[in-house]
Amino acid sequence: MIGNVKIDIKNLNVWFEDNHVLKDMTLAIKENAVTAVMGPSGCGKTTLIRAINRMNEVIKGSRTSGEIYIGGHNIYDSDTNVYELRRKVGMVFQKPNPLPKSIFENIAFGPKIHNMASGKRRDDIVENSLKEAALWDEVKDRLHDNAFDLSGGQQQRLCIARALAVKPEIILMDEPCSALDPAATAKIEQLIRTLAENYTVIIVTHNMQQASRVSDFTVFLYLGKVIEYDITKDIFEHPKNELTEKYITGEFG
Amino acid sequence: MLFASLGIPMVICLIAFFWIVTMLLTGIGTLSWEYLTTSALQGGIFEMIIGTIYLFLGAAGIAAPVGVLAAVYLVEYAPSGRLTRIIDQAINNLAGVPSIVIGLFGFTLFGRQLGLGISLAAGWLTLALMILPIVIRGSEEAIRMVPTSFKEAALALGATKWEAIRLTTLLAAAPGIVTSVVLGIARVAGETAAILFTSCVIITRGLPKSPLEPVMALAFNMYIKIVARGEPAQNVFGIALVLFFIVVLFAIFAITLRTYYRRKQPWLR
Repeated sequence: MIGNVKIDIKNLNVWFEDNHVLKDMTLAIKENAVTAVMGPSGCGKTTLIRAINRMNEVIKGSRTSGEIYIGGHNIYDSDTNVYELRRKVGMVFQKPNPLPKSIFENIAFGPKIHNMASGKRRDDIVENSLKEAALWDEVKDRLHDNAFDLSGGQQQRLCIARALAVKPEIILMDEPCSALDPAATAKIEQLIRTLAENYTVIIVTHNMQQASRVSDFTVFLYLGKVIEYDITKDIFEHPKNELTEKYITGEFG
Repeated sequence: MLFASLGIPMVICLIAFFWIVTMLLTGIGTLSWEYLTTSALQGGIFEMIIGTIYLFLGAAGIAAPVGVLAAVYLVEYAPSGRLTRIIDQAINNLAGVPSIVIGLFGFTLFGRQLGLGISLAAGWLTLALMILPIVIRGSEEAIRMVPTSFKEAALALGATKWEAIRLTTLLAAAPGIVTSVVLGIARVAGETAAILFTSCVIITRGLPKSPLEPVMALAFNMYIKIVARGEPAQNVFGIALVLFFIVVLFAIFAITLRTYYRRKQPWLR
């Protein structure tokens, strides 16, 4: 496959207590592309993306070994600034999780804690992020309303805008549409395609149609291992592995 | 059968409540604006009212930050293990210590060892010990009720653990925390045994000019008037009414705050 490698994962292992979730995983994620991560429940999809922004560490009893290189630097090195890493690698969760603040304050939260800008420049960041997330027109007249007044789809776009506000390079999305209705889902899928122009996007999804609509590459995981990794079209039309084929045809989910 | 088991206790409580209020109201004749604002040296109760307020506000000022930080530690940082369980049990035990024992403890540690004597400061520290378990437990509960998704969102944006707690969880738990402080104040506002020999005297010359001076307090003075002076019952009931009023005021304030802030917690909808 052509294209630069943005995230180089080497021999990644993750345990939660005695549960060995990711097993010696090696994978190279391409830059400025959308990579879908698929597989049956419990195969380690969420654990994989959370390893990329080191959010697994937040869970008690987690252990990680192996390396993940971003920009030539191993993020698991002891001299890595984990807070800067999480700024560069943004995350959107399965259930939209706006902060209990106004729409404006939600977007401004990231820039605030990273001391990125103040005053007018912060206002500009908020506006640009909301525009990038295709939410500006719907909220520009009520920036100081509580974020919880928004619909589910709007809240999720708010969360995307919030992640964009700190100028990340990579965006991780954990089944971002699973809690949303079809109309909201369509809007976000459209958004994801445009984001790939400027960011590297990884999206965990259960929905094969979504993966084929939205992604350039697809990784198929099973029981913590990479079974197949290819251009999305090829994986769905000509899967090389029997397990992949079984998953695609719905023999197990 | 259900009516009897629910109804009878309720009726008893109502009767007791009204009986108490009626007794208190016998003292209403002694109350007047002059009585409340005149110095004790001239027969009023001004310093007692202010002294009571000084006492519980200062105690809350100490117990609130300590209690909130303790609650944050217990919920967010404490490792699960023996030491944490001991701390937990100790907090429960502290809540159960009779106030006279706390008063003795305060007298010994703050009054004598730390050299504070009979003073406002000693009273503050002693009463703070009584408010502390209330604030810790109330704050713990308020913090646990905040969805962890807020903290997680903040962490994923690059916040440190303390930033995430301070800027999301604590802010969201603030209403519950404030309520617990107000309830703590309601608990100690009428406290007598704990201030008996840590901060109160029968009469002072004006208001205390520094925390190292003793104070007058409503509850303490009620005790003195009954035991030592043999004054008419009305006087004492009058003072009791004032104290009762202050405590009820705080309880209403607490409930109002809670109701107001419920609206501002949209994730509870």
